[in-house]
Amino acid sequence: MMKKRVLAGVLSAAMAVSMSFTMAYAGETEAVSGTEAAANADGLATEGKFVVGFDAEYPPYGYMDDNGDYTGFDLELAQAVCDLEGWELVKTPIDWDSKDMELNSGNIDCIWNGFTMNGREDSYTFSVPYVNNSQVIVTADDSGINSLADLAGKTVGVQADSAALALLSKDGDQADLAETFGDLQQFADYNTAFTELMAGSLDAVAIDIGVAQYQINGRDGYKILDEYLNAEQYAVGFKKGNTALCDTVNKDLKTLLDNGTFDKIAKKYAGQGVDPTMLCLRESFGEASTEASTEAETEA
Amino acid sequence: MSFQVMMMQLGQGMLKSMGIFFLTLLFSLPLGLLVALCRMSKSGILRTIMRVYISIMRGTPLMLQLLAVYFGPYYLFGAKLGKNWRFSAIIIAFAVNYAAYFAEIYRSGIGSMPAGQYEAARLLGYSKSGTFLRIIFPQVIKRILPAITNEVITLIKDTSLSFSLAYAEMFTIAKQIAAKETSFMPFLAAALFYYVFNAIVAFAMERIEKAMNYYSA
Repeated sequence: MMKKRVLAGVLSAAMAVSMSFTMAYAGETEAVSGTEAAANADGLATEGKFVVGFDAEYPPYGYMDDNGDYTGFDLELAQAVCDLEGWELVKTPIDWDSKDMELNSGNIDCIWNGFTMNGREDSYTFSVPYVNNSQVIVTADDSGINSLADLAGKTVGVQADSAALALLSKDGDQADLAETFGDLQQFADYNTAFTELMAGSLDAVAIDIGVAQYQINGRDGYKILDEYLNAEQYAVGFKKGNTALCDTVNKDLKTLLDNGTFDKIAKKYAGQGVDPTMLCLRESFGEASTEASTEAETEA
Repeated sequence: MSFQVMMMQLGQGMLKSMGIFFLTLLFSLPLGLLVALCRMSKSGILRTIMRVYISIMRGTPLMLQLLAVYFGPYYLFGAKLGKNWRFSAIIIAFAVNYAAYFAEIYRSGIGSMPAGQYEAARLLGYSKSGTFLRIIFPQVIKRILPAITNEVITLIKDTSLSFSLAYAEMFTIAKQIAAKETSFMPFLAAALFYYVFNAIVAFAMERIEKAMNYYSA
């Protein structure tokens, strides 16, 4: 009888351990939802903390630098906003496929990572656009592909859940072009896609121009087709309806533009794929467009 | 990025991978035994529940289970996920998944014990729990060790699935460095890390097996 009790004790202890483990964290999630009810006026999930979700495999906008810290054009801008507001910047790498879940569940306050706003307006509240982006095609110099028409019958790679994929999908603006492809392959990250391009199992990659320039800088023998797939814009994506936070960031972007911080950060990344002609924050605030950006618009 | 920085980053990632590894074992080994005992219990309801549980755990991809545990509380209850939930979700998903596999290993071990041992123990006056704890279970452990080693080694490699929740374990870090360097070298380094850790674990398990091999020494 005694021994039976011992066994029961052992088993219930094991159960209690696993249960309390689960419950402790269930308690934690509830506690946090309580603070949400008390909703911060500035729209942040946690007061004083600006949690930015980004794909850490997306240089030059968000990546790991030489020292192993997360950085990039977008993350430096986010840091500048935090400096203005006195917030603490929390850089949270996310899996790009799960970005909606991360945002909607409140794990992150915004997606700030070369995030195309066009075509996503219904799903997010967007800041003013700050970069004129284009989706482009990258191929090997010696691929014999020189125009979009040459892609007929070829295998093209694209990042899953990306703006380029949206363009090439059934209802996208370039759906007809995609029809001519031999195959459209989806990848989780561009590094893999580029390696396949080098290995020859892909003929071309559809990709954001800034990222394309970064990737080409790091490899020899690749080119961007002169014909672009589209012209679009990057903006910061907030959870739909979070206008309080969006307004604050917009106001801060204006300040950063006026005090020169925006241009200073942009200059730093000019050689890494963020071409000065791509910047469009000035136009977003209705200021006289510079010569460079007019050029970019005509090109697009 | 210099070679040293890369190795240091990967090393830090390895520590996090090891964290997942040890915590998963800590929770899943006892939980697996509990599941095995319930799976073999006299109660038909309990047996059915455990059968369904094991069937789901083995029948769906671990990566999907990770996503389900992580985002589940939000989608089911609208709970806001805390900052530490990412790691906790990973441990819960891994522990619950591996417990199912361990349970079947325990069950095979317990089932392999000849009925005569139970009869002999009863004649010697052992209670049911005493028979299990003092006579059956030690032999079970000895018998199932090779199968457990298999799972443990698989677990080390499975920790890399946490990349789907962007948890900064070694594989996630390797992917990030690879993207920044536009190179595949970091993956080679990551493979080396996994291999060395696996070799150490395999060696340790072999030693334990030898130590338990007290009859034929």
